[in-house]
Amino acid sequence: MNIIHLVIDDKPIVAPEGTNIFQAARDNDIYVPGLCYHPKLSQFGGCRLCFVEVTERKRTVHRFACAHPVSEGMVVKVNTPKVVRYRKSAMEYLLAHHELSCPTCDKSGECGLQNVTYELNLGPGRFKTVRMHHPVIRDNPVLELNRNRCILCGRCVSACKEIEGVSAIDFQNRGFKTVIGTAFDRPLECSFCGGCVAVCPTGAWQDRTLGFKGRPWEFESTTTICPYCSVGCTIVVNTKTESVRRIVSNDCLGINEGNLCIKGRFGHEFIHSPERIKTPLIRKNGELCPASWKDAIEHTTKRFRQIIAEHGGKLAGGIGSERCTNEDNYLFQKFCRSVLGTNHVDNMSNIKSPYLNSLIYKSVVNGIASASLKEIENANTLFFLGADMTEAHPVAGSMARKSIRMNNANLIIANVRNVLFNSMARNDIRLNYALGSQAMLINAFIKIIIDENLVDLKKAEAATNNFPEWRSSVDKFSVREASQSTGISEETMRNVSMILTKPGNCCIVCGKDIEEDPLGEITIKALMNLCSLINAAHDEKTGPRKVSVLFSRTHNNSQGANDMGVVPGFFPGYLDITDTTGREKVEKLWGVKPGNDIFQKESLNLIDLALNGKLKALYVMGENPIVNYPNGKDVREAFKKIDFIVVQDTFLTETAQLADVVLPAVTYSEREGTFTNMGMTVQRLNKAIPPVGDARPDWQIVCDLATKMGQPYSYASAKEILSEIGSIAPPYAGVNYDRLKRKEFQWVSFVYDKNRPAKYTFEIIQPATFNIIRKKDFPFILLTGASLNHQGAFSRHSKSLTLVAPACFAEINRKDAREMHIQDGDMVTVESVRDKIKLKAKVTDKTPEGTVFIPEDYEWVPVNLLRDRAYTPVKIYREAE
Amino acid sequence: MILPLIKGLILTLTRFLNPKTCVTMQYPDERPKLSARFRGLPELQIGKDGREKCVACGLCARVCPSQCISVEGAEDETHRRYPKTYELDAFRCIFCGYCEEACPVRAIILRDTFELATYQNKNVFDKEQLLDLTRKRNLPG
Repeated sequence: MNIIHLVIDDKPIVAPEGTNIFQAARDNDIYVPGLCYHPKLSQFGGCRLCFVEVTERKRTVHRFACAHPVSEGMVVKVNTPKVVRYRKSAMEYLLAHHELSCPTCDKSGECGLQNVTYELNLGPGRFKTVRMHHPVIRDNPVLELNRNRCILCGRCVSACKEIEGVSAIDFQNRGFKTVIGTAFDRPLECSFCGGCVAVCPTGAWQDRTLGFKGRPWEFESTTTICPYCSVGCTIVVNTKTESVRRIVSNDCLGINEGNLCIKGRFGHEFIHSPERIKTPLIRKNGELCPASWKDAIEHTTKRFRQIIAEHGGKLAGGIGSERCTNEDNYLFQKFCRSVLGTNHVDNMSNIKSPYLNSLIYKSVVNGIASASLKEIENANTLFFLGADMTEAHPVAGSMARKSIRMNNANLIIANVRNVLFNSMARNDIRLNYALGSQAMLINAFIKIIIDENLVDLKKAEAATNNFPEWRSSVDKFSVREASQSTGISEETMRNVSMILTKPGNCCIVCGKDIEEDPLGEITIKALMNLCSLINAAHDEKTGPRKVSVLFSRTHNNSQGANDMGVVPGFFPGYLDITDTTGREKVEKLWGVKPGNDIFQKESLNLIDLALNGKLKALYVMGENPIVNYPNGKDVREAFKKIDFIVVQDTFLTETAQLADVVLPAVTYSEREGTFTNMGMTVQRLNKAIPPVGDARPDWQIVCDLATKMGQPYSYASAKEILSEIGSIAPPYAGVNYDRLKRKEFQWVSFVYDKNRPAKYTFEIIQPATFNIIRKKDFPFILLTGASLNHQGAFSRHSKSLTLVAPACFAEINRKDAREMHIQDGDMVTVESVRDKIKLKAKVTDKTPEGTVFIPEDYEWVPVNLLRDRAYTPVKIYREAE
Repeated sequence: MILPLIKGLILTLTRFLNPKTCVTMQYPDERPKLSARFRGLPELQIGKDGREKCVACGLCARVCPSQCISVEGAEDETHRRYPKTYELDAFRCIFCGYCEEACPVRAIILRDTFELATYQNKNVFDKEQLLDLTRKRNLPG
């Protein structure tokens, strides 16, 4: 890329070729007024305010800075009298029919139009003002469109199209009557990401969750991390008088570059929900009664001691949280292991897919795992395997759209369902494989790559350990059979294999559908083989080339909870519990010597142990297993068999209702700590408000319990805990709490040494399809997945989110629905052997025939109670009126 | 020597005894007559619909040099912006009148209320109290 030298306002600057004057000026802190240009969006040139004087090739002309590229030797003047005069008259036109309702407009104070008016010192215009009198459109709970304030800059239209890929809004009519709106003025049907609010320079688009509850200049802004999905977007919490008023985004901060989804932007009302637990609760005579912290801690420690004395520590267990910070989780497992003396610590993601941790760690060591979510943006090929980006990780979807827009990336989406992903990719391949055939699909790609010599196999052999052996195991595999069982034609598979082996970066997102599948382990192993084959065969001289995998995680800190060793198999930082060196290190640092007998690998998970009566006490931190446990109703039975349950949470969840002691914890806005996102990036939270009510940060509660039980934990802050984590967990060795404030920490790059890569050993697997047993009485297979609008207790208690998505639904294929005479919106009952639930039918083409899809993130609809260990057969019928 | 003294006393006594030149006022039986631009306690004005005129724009709170005003806006059923709480600490108020000047809807005006003695170091008038001052004024008679 060539570097161009130019002069703007007597300041010599450099800019890459192709940049426009506006961006070049902005990058060098030279102010040019402008309302329609936004660095994230394509240029539009509608506001006409960035008028500047340009001298190039000895000619002086006037140009719009946002629409004119820089050229060598160019001289730009931003504020000549003529330019200012022009700018003033352009503003007069914009203000001629502007509503001028600044006192009642929530944008006032951060309004672009207001700022320019103030700068140019404009008084009443020369024109007779004509007010528009458009009615304000409030057809949805989160966004409000006031067309009277609109200056038709087109930013929201571009944002909706380019970032979110929805194109829900566009210009309507012509000339003076032009307005922004939806097609045929129907109610807004979009993902409600709020991108339009974020880019709007005036108050035309408004965040309704703010609802006049404060002015921009009154707010205190705190940068922190979103508590919902595992992308880990940076959000800015605006607070006034110790309460959260709204969430905004900052284009310059974080991996999300100011893009957020509905949950991140509008799902903050739970923080001040009246339903939050504000004091500790102790069960007395079957009722949960409010108690003081002293009593609650005393009662808990007394019962824990009693149970340890009676049955030994081994019969206690702990479920850590995917929503709590790394510090909370670290202390939690330390408490369980050193104070309670049990190795039964686990978290829900590990319970759902116990093989995942070791596979992810292996892929990190071998350089297969992506070092950051940014790799999506830099990819030339995107492959979403079993990942519903739109619903599960909407902002990562926006990053993918950016790479499609900027790098012209190829897009391959493989999923059982025909998931929605709006993009403008030139190569947009959708593979809807048959249920349970994903491992076959991946192996078919490998087979095609080997057979057709798409990569340098000799080089691959040299760079890996057991290539010949593995190759002979793959030889038996038949692509034709794979094509038959997956339902994808051989030609398409060949096509995809070609795209995957093309030069350039390839980013594979391995979704929840793969990870939590009964076939998850072999599919991920096959995927790792595929990546290593392509990576190992690549010749560094021909240019950069890397296939990397992002393992999608469910919650904001699923990765962190596993990193912190809230799993039975590992100490923090993936130190194997059976390995003595790791254990000695831990014992030395913790200053305790837990008995050797407790560190054994159990084949049963925590809930199964409880079900067999092998747990007497359970400590649950920030988790709701009653609803989230994927294997059905067993969990309720299991909880009944436990004598003493402590739940530490922000809301009185289903699990907390069964507890003997409930301890109130704080939400993300009230705590300090770190989250690790699905790209293994550690990011720091900042405290925006003091704890609501009597709630305390989780780590403090754990400290109090430990101190009361005779092992004083003397941590003063999250910083001290993180430095202990750094000294114990090898991946976190380089982490520094203060440095995290400025820059996030990516632990992959500390584990994987690029210059001395570990030799990959291929996993020899027998790819198989899962035999799906379809029963006659239960003809459908239940699929579950993520939901865009909801996730856990937080969204459930956010009023706006429940208004946007009030009811859970069951997606049924159009053909099936027609056979059963089910219309869109009918109430249907979905019944399995275990349970039944009633919900609204949604007739779509997304779900394949013979399956029904229900999102599992609507916590009040317990889909998981229906589920069995594998694919659950269900039946659907319409409720008799 | 005595003459100037008598002269002086005459002047003093005429001033002292003449009711026209006497400045002593029989407060509180007698009320002072205040000038039209006297700045007393700020009062919230009432609009034609019987509600407060204030739109909770927060400019008064922003401009107030002694930071005695705090406003909390909210949205009512008709999507009108109104002050959910409006508090003015009369103890802190310096009666500068900036709030009146800043107000875009003339919802706050400094009138002639000046009797503000309290025993506390705080004298917070809430929205209703500030409106009551205007309501009393509007009472007939």
